[in-house]
Amino acid sequence: MPAPADLQDRTEFAKLDRRRATRQRRIAIAASLVLVCAAPVSVDAGARDSADPDDAYVRGVFSPQFIPPAVGTYELPVIRRVPPFVLLEAGRPVSTQVLTAGKIAVMSFIYTACSDRLGCPLATRAMSELQTRLLEGGLQERVVLLSISLDPGRDTPTHLATYARHFKANRLLWHFLTAPSEGDLRRMLAAYGQDREPIADERGRFTGRFRHVLKVFVLDAAARIRNIYSSGFLVPQVVVNDIKTLLTSDATGMK
Amino acid sequence: MTTRLGHFVLIGLLWLSATALATRPVTADETCQSPFLPKVTGQEDYVYVWTLGIAGVGDGNDSLVTVDAHPTSKTYGQIIHRIAVPGRHEAHHAGFTDDRRYLWAGGLDDSYIFVFDVGLDPARPRLIKTITSFVKDTGGLVGPHTFYALPGRMLISALSNAQDNSGRTGLAEYANDGKFIRAIWMPKEAPYGYDVRVNVNLNRMLTSSFTGKRNYMRPFGELSKDAEAMKAFGDSIVVWDFHSRKPLQILRVPGAPLELRWALLPHHYYAFTGTALTHQLVVIYRKEDGTWATKNIADTGENIPVDLSLAPDDSKVYVNSFLDGTLRVYDVSNPFEGKLIEQVKLGEMANMVSESWDGARVYATNSLLSQWDKRSDYWLKAYAWENGKLVPKFTTDFNAVGRPHIMNFGSKTMRVASHPRSHPARSPAAHASTR
Repeated sequence: MPAPADLQDRTEFAKLDRRRATRQRRIAIAASLVLVCAAPVSVDAGARDSADPDDAYVRGVFSPQFIPPAVGTYELPVIRRVPPFVLLEAGRPVSTQVLTAGKIAVMSFIYTACSDRLGCPLATRAMSELQTRLLEGGLQERVVLLSISLDPGRDTPTHLATYARHFKANRLLWHFLTAPSEGDLRRMLAAYGQDREPIADERGRFTGRFRHVLKVFVLDAAARIRNIYSSGFLVPQVVVNDIKTLLTSDATGMK
Repeated sequence: MTTRLGHFVLIGLLWLSATALATRPVTADETCQSPFLPKVTGQEDYVYVWTLGIAGVGDGNDSLVTVDAHPTSKTYGQIIHRIAVPGRHEAHHAGFTDDRRYLWAGGLDDSYIFVFDVGLDPARPRLIKTITSFVKDTGGLVGPHTFYALPGRMLISALSNAQDNSGRTGLAEYANDGKFIRAIWMPKEAPYGYDVRVNVNLNRMLTSSFTGKRNYMRPFGELSKDAEAMKAFGDSIVVWDFHSRKPLQILRVPGAPLELRWALLPHHYYAFTGTALTHQLVVIYRKEDGTWATKNIADTGENIPVDLSLAPDDSKVYVNSFLDGTLRVYDVSNPFEGKLIEQVKLGEMANMVSESWDGARVYATNSLLSQWDKRSDYWLKAYAWENGKLVPKFTTDFNAVGRPHIMNFGSKTMRVASHPRSHPARSPAAHASTR
């Protein structure tokens, strides 16, 4: 193994050790909060036909046990290209091409009635944290955040506006959008590779909930998906580093 | 203050998701699936078996076979569906995409990749796409082995290369729609490849090492007598920075370390592997200084241990051995000491072993490679834990079908509605070009 890489790894963990004590104090508080908040919430992720054993694993202290790789030291190849879509913001049509022109876009599909604590609430909380970091870093002019409803039938403009206020969304930076129709939404989901399945009860009636894998997309200024984050890897500092990497690279995406 | 509180809550949510998703991993079995994948936590309805065709047996083609695994079903333990692909490709491993909608299955001989839709009708998977350009796409990688879901992508480890069919190889990434993204060759100091696994909490990825096509497609009896050829097996585990896909450290693990299994519980910063040629069960662990080391924790005997499966609470490792056809179970509650607690003679040979997420059931198949298999019956066998012993539940006869290899679990709950997006003709996967 080349020594520099190994040394880099050790240095990384030396830094980690120095920060660990502080972090663990913080996380102990956070863990208590989450357990209280999450206790009454059911998980509606798919493929669970028995008592969910995940709670058996809600123990110990989690923190991402790593320092994200430094800005510009890695590549983010193009995963796929996506076309522009016309969506509705506060009831008015707006093109994603206009919203994202010349900017890095961070996009997630959510719906306000989602009760999966590891789904939409996690994605929106991460977007909120990301908004804070972007504002602190002076990146608000170069990045745009988009939260797009998976449930255009019920996520009305009023509903979304309330949701946005709850998360203190900066209206210039973070947009909450819906598709004009179910068909438009399906085309957009297909373009992004985002799954969404209505969950039915035992009599086949729609429960108002959707099964979906949480995905947060980062797109470059040419509307190419350059990274996708899922639960467990949705670390705001990683997203910020990826944004800065895209801003400082030639954004060719290797293709 | 509000911002800081929000930061704490986010970390807490991430903690929940990471600990939960660390338990949502799949290659062969539910406990070793990718952490980016929904998992089947209860009774699986189906076992999908990627099966090698045999000349003169039926249509002779490779196929994806569905076995009914639900105990209350009238067809419990029986083959209820089979979809053949044209030809024989050395069917080997398979893995789901991150939404568990599609199953990607590879052939080690011609490097074809077959994509099956298991969402529209989980009992009856459909072939929707064949990628024939893996070698060309990747600049010469051969033998797609592990199919590991990343968000929106498939990470694929290869075994060989087109230039000399040796074990020098690498990793490939494809988008879920089948478009090639990139190839990453293994470091020169550790050129072999086999399995690949990610620990998201640690941002670490492990790869293991086997041998090249000129060995794995050669009759085993002949190969084993060729001392020079037997030197061309991998002896390394590579620790990578997952996010940057850069190698950080090479661990020397002699004797072809094959399957990799990360421990699942939050504080367990270790993984297991088994060495085929030196028959060791090995723990790979993170040291205090953040670097990694290995320790042999059990000798499984001179029987070529092949597949591993890890209990969901990290307490046990299941090891299937090819030569003596035996399943051994080791207590690894102390990961630095493996204690043999159970063994079952499955048959003349054994290969894959897959445990259910709840730890109650274990499935095994017995084909390793077409050129290495012994003369034997072919089967899938199901066992369940009862009073501390593994008790046989059913045997599915594969003799009229082919050589059963990797198993993946299916569930009726993963069925998708038949709306336009799901229709094969409009599916993004169906539209993707194969170059």
